[in-house]
Amino acid sequence: MAKQTPQRANLLQGTLDMLILRTLLYGPAHGHQIGKHIQRTTNDFLQMQHGSLYPALHRLEERGWVSAKWETAPDRNREYKYYRLTDKGKKQLSVEESQWKQMAEAVARVMWPAPEES
Amino acid sequence: MKGWQIRKRDADLERELQSDLELEEEEQRANGLSAEEAHRAARRAFGNTTLIREHIHEAWGWAPVERILQDARYAIRQLWRAPGFSIVVMLTLALGIGATTAIFTLVYDVMLRPLPFAQPDRIVTIEEKVAEWSNLYPALPVSANHFTFWQQHNRSFDSMAVMQQGSVPFGASGRSLQVGALWATPGIFSVLRVQPELGRQFTVDEAQQGHEHVAVLTYDLWHEQFAGDPHILSKTILVNGFPYSVIGVMPKSFHMPSIQTMATIGSTNHELPIGILVPLAFSKERLAEEMGDLNYFGLARLKTGTSIAVANAELNALQHTIAANLPADEKATLSAQIMPFQEKLVGNSRQPLMILLGAVMGLLLVGCVNVTNLLLSRAVSQKRQMAVAAALGASRAELVRMAIRETAVLAVMGGGLGVLLAASIVPGMQRYLPPALNFRGPLHLDWVGVGCALFLAVLATLAAGAAPAFMISRTAPQEVLHSDSRLTSESLGSRRARRFLVGTEVAVSVALVLMTAMLTASLVKLMDVDSGFTTERTIAATVNLPSESYRDDQHRAAFYREVLERINGLPGVEHAAFTSTLPLTAGGWGLMARVTGDSRPVTQLPLETVRSVSPQYFSGIGLRMIAGKSFGEDDWGKNLALVSEKTAKTLWPGKDPLGRQFNLEDPATEKPFTVVGVVADARTVSLAKPDPMLIYVPYWYRCESMGGLIIRTHQDPSEMADAIRQTIWSIDRGVPVPTVRALGGIVADSIANRRFEMDLLLLFAVSALFLAGLGIYGVLTYSVSQRYREMGLRLALGAQRTNLYWLILTDGLLPVGLGAVAGIAVAFGSARMVSGLLFQVSPYDPVLSVGAVGVLLAVGTIACLLPARRAAAVEPMQALRTE
Repeated sequence: MAKQTPQRANLLQGTLDMLILRTLLYGPAHGHQIGKHIQRTTNDFLQMQHGSLYPALHRLEERGWVSAKWETAPDRNREYKYYRLTDKGKKQLSVEESQWKQMAEAVARVMWPAPEES
Repeated sequence: MKGWQIRKRDADLERELQSDLELEEEEQRANGLSAEEAHRAARRAFGNTTLIREHIHEAWGWAPVERILQDARYAIRQLWRAPGFSIVVMLTLALGIGATTAIFTLVYDVMLRPLPFAQPDRIVTIEEKVAEWSNLYPALPVSANHFTFWQQHNRSFDSMAVMQQGSVPFGASGRSLQVGALWATPGIFSVLRVQPELGRQFTVDEAQQGHEHVAVLTYDLWHEQFAGDPHILSKTILVNGFPYSVIGVMPKSFHMPSIQTMATIGSTNHELPIGILVPLAFSKERLAEEMGDLNYFGLARLKTGTSIAVANAELNALQHTIAANLPADEKATLSAQIMPFQEKLVGNSRQPLMILLGAVMGLLLVGCVNVTNLLLSRAVSQKRQMAVAAALGASRAELVRMAIRETAVLAVMGGGLGVLLAASIVPGMQRYLPPALNFRGPLHLDWVGVGCALFLAVLATLAAGAAPAFMISRTAPQEVLHSDSRLTSESLGSRRARRFLVGTEVAVSVALVLMTAMLTASLVKLMDVDSGFTTERTIAATVNLPSESYRDDQHRAAFYREVLERINGLPGVEHAAFTSTLPLTAGGWGLMARVTGDSRPVTQLPLETVRSVSPQYFSGIGLRMIAGKSFGEDDWGKNLALVSEKTAKTLWPGKDPLGRQFNLEDPATEKPFTVVGVVADARTVSLAKPDPMLIYVPYWYRCESMGGLIIRTHQDPSEMADAIRQTIWSIDRGVPVPTVRALGGIVADSIANRRFEMDLLLLFAVSALFLAGLGIYGVLTYSVSQRYREMGLRLALGAQRTNLYWLILTDGLLPVGLGAVAGIAVAFGSARMVSGLLFQVSPYDPVLSVGAVGVLLAVGTIACLLPARRAAAVEPMQALRTE
């Protein structure tokens, strides 16, 4: 259902969670900020779909990896729902990070095999 | 998760999405878009917010909850459109669930609720058995002598106690108050594992004669009579006229069930709750009695790990030792019987309760069948709708869910109403609790009862909803959608199912009607039975003499003599008489009569029930004299006696009993009695069975502190109550007069339990009949509406309208007839269970059985007539034109 432009990619299953957790490592942020941050950091390569961002945020909250609280934004006189990383979330992030690394390395070995050593 | 939480979190989510949407909009505006374009761009970026929310709900795990709520809302809307159907179904379920819950609460309270003591399953009662007397008394209370022996030698029990219950005059003289008392050996506290909350329990030393004037009060008595006086422990109270020092107060939670022993036979006030606990002290003579003193209620606590069977075996071995050492003239075959305390208290109440439970569940079943029938009719009309859903790709599970949601809502609402109904019925059932178990405070619907109701509601949903759901889920969409809806009539399978259901309804109803008829017939016969005595214009009063001022038979007899003289002098009094036991309240005490010259051992002598009476007792209640005459007041002091017909025939078979002599106690120390008259056999112990052998001795021979007065008047007895009390108190203000009431009322009380059972069954049977009628009517009406065209065709082809009547009647009455036969079979099958409750009525009574079937056929015919009339009224042309 999401429209894809050629230079934008679908996220791998579960990757979004990891990206959100990583983003929150900088500090509390609300949904919009998180989405924009991921989008900008990847030079719009990863286009955030709201349809998957919010369910992901609530899923993470449900699992206790992030906590949420309505807080007034520092630069404006309005309340936003700020998500922040919990200790459990931090641990989860490191787990996912190492898994992702292993996965990337494994894929890389198949795709670009190192020249055989003689 | 609760509804309000869901709403709160959802509102929260909406707010979050909204605020982020606004941010997005702002950003787009900052990129240079116009306000409107920015708005649209933001919307586009967010996509379908409803979908997002649904995804998030899924993440929260609410999806099933939401589906249920949605289903419920839909079902309620559907039901709202068919209010008649909904109300009938809801009320049917409410009635069934409510009544079953109420009866279950009663059954639970009596049979299942643990007694309020620590480890109640370890507490057992002990009874003795004497083979020689087993005809008369299958089991007997415990003897003090045997109890002492067991206490010294057993290894199965942690603790043991024997006790008696009664009522005593209580408080300062001049105040005539009566309280329930428990005389118990000190072991009672460890058997029940209860301790006084204030003060202490009585000691072994205090259970010795001369030291026993100490009392432990119950919490209720402490509060009612002494206003919870914190210094009560130093106070002295009057029990039986004697000063007793209060040594303890039991905790508020302590309540003692009513116990019965031979000694409390003669007391009419078992219901008086126990207010004081006093030590039971045995005299030397009492302890020496090896066979003549089976008088005490035995209670014991089994050691952990010891089974009842093991304890029983050990106790029987001890009984064997006792029996082996009995003197030659007291030879007896002794054994013992241990039973869980609760089981003993439930006693004879089990059977009627189980029957009521069975009956009320039968009613619930009839209700469910009816609901199934109604739902089936609805299901047939919803077939098209379901077919469409199936064609659109609904899975079978979804179809079943669709089919069952209305039933579920109905069951929940019916169950809720049922709980309300039960909650309002249950407190009124208090007075039907067996007296022994009516000690736990007010009966009310608790969580066990509500749990039962919920369980029944779920069960009803499954039972009533299963068939329609099955039918609907098997719908083949093409078939339904292709055929013209007007032509589709009910399938053969569904019609068979509905007939089967009607048959079931009828079967249960017939069984209920038959059982009610049998109980009613029993009650009518019982009320009609010749009791041998009269109750017209007769008042019964009980008197309780304090032992301090009336310490022996002489003093007590003199008091009664004075009372009788003064009451006989009252205007309007015809006769006033004393009796140790009022009719239908108890038996009397049992003794072995030794005819002069008979030297058999005591246990081989016939056991008679003895009553002490004043001379006018027989004319007072109209007991017929067969031979001889009564003793008179001028025989004061003489050992004269009257015997019942049965006694005369047993003691002196074939001989004239008048003038013959016998002894009740040891002939060596007692002057023999001379028989002066023979009294006709009657039913003064229970209307349901003839009296045992009776011996009447004059009240100057033996006079207990509890006694009854029988007063025959010329005028309305209800106006005499005050005069009688005042007359007794004019002699002694300190004598309590707990009851003064019409003798007829006492007779009615003796059959009150049967009446209660009959009333309830009658209610269930009438409800079942009504529901069965409704069920038959519903099925036939539906069937007629389905066969509208067929009827028209038949008429057009020349059938008479009477033929149509006949067609519908036979169609409707066939399952009724089959069901009735099945119902009779069920009733006969359970005859053994019912027969114990019947009086002079056979559980296989042909007249009643035919009557029950007749009633059902009548109800069935009435239920068939209306639909049949509708069938006969079909206009053939119109019916055919609707094609």
